[in-house]
Amino acid sequence: MNQLAEEYADKKISSVFIYTHEAHPGEHYPHLTSMAQKYQHAQDLKNVLGVTRPILLDSLDGACHRSYGSMPNMTWIFNRSGVVQYKGNWTDVDSVERALVHLLEINQRRRNREILAPFKVEKLEYRKSDREGFNKGLERSGPKAVEEFKKAF
Amino acid sequence: MVFERNLTVNKDLLSRYNYDSFINENFQPWMNFEKSPVVGEPAPDFPLWDLDKQACSLSEIWSAHLFTVVEFGSFT
Repeated sequence: MNQLAEEYADKKISSVFIYTHEAHPGEHYPHLTSMAQKYQHAQDLKNVLGVTRPILLDSLDGACHRSYGSMPNMTWIFNRSGVVQYKGNWTDVDSVERALVHLLEINQRRRNREILAPFKVEKLEYRKSDREGFNKGLERSGPKAVEEFKKAF
Repeated sequence: MVFERNLTVNKDLLSRYNYDSFINENFQPWMNFEKSPVVGEPAPDFPLWDLDKQACSLSEIWSAHLFTVVEFGSFT
């Protein structure tokens, strides 16, 4: 997602990361109890995991996250008026890029004075499952996170 | 500072949202994607804070560019 953000930054598209809550709290990254702790975890997201997009913190009670459905790693695209253009209950860079290509094409057609009427489509997307990478993430949080995920699924 | 005032919120909600264990009864109630804002409609605005602890809002972010990609997540 960082690379995608860089590739599309010169096409008037911004990308941000909203820090929510710890989906898999563990010994190293326990559940959040203060904004100071949330700030520290968000700093680690930048410094340890290398997120280069601007990171913004949601409130400690997750008001924004909860309003948008509370999924652990979802992606949304908004236009300049705040109208939802795309929403995915999981983040997949290929899916997001397809959406951006489509939105830029629509924008160009409108600039060419083509009259377009919106309609909605629902479809399933598929992503490559990265179990190894996911497990590494759990391990970074701590053994507790690894064990709880095993028990949950 | 607005960033610090954010601490004074409902403690029960805080502990339920920031659950301490990944067990079904803790995380499942929060997963409400089907009830989230719909495509094609204006989305709700919320206050946010950057890593310098400066307050901003989601609408400030999306109004500054043609399109804005927003990823939600955390370290874990």
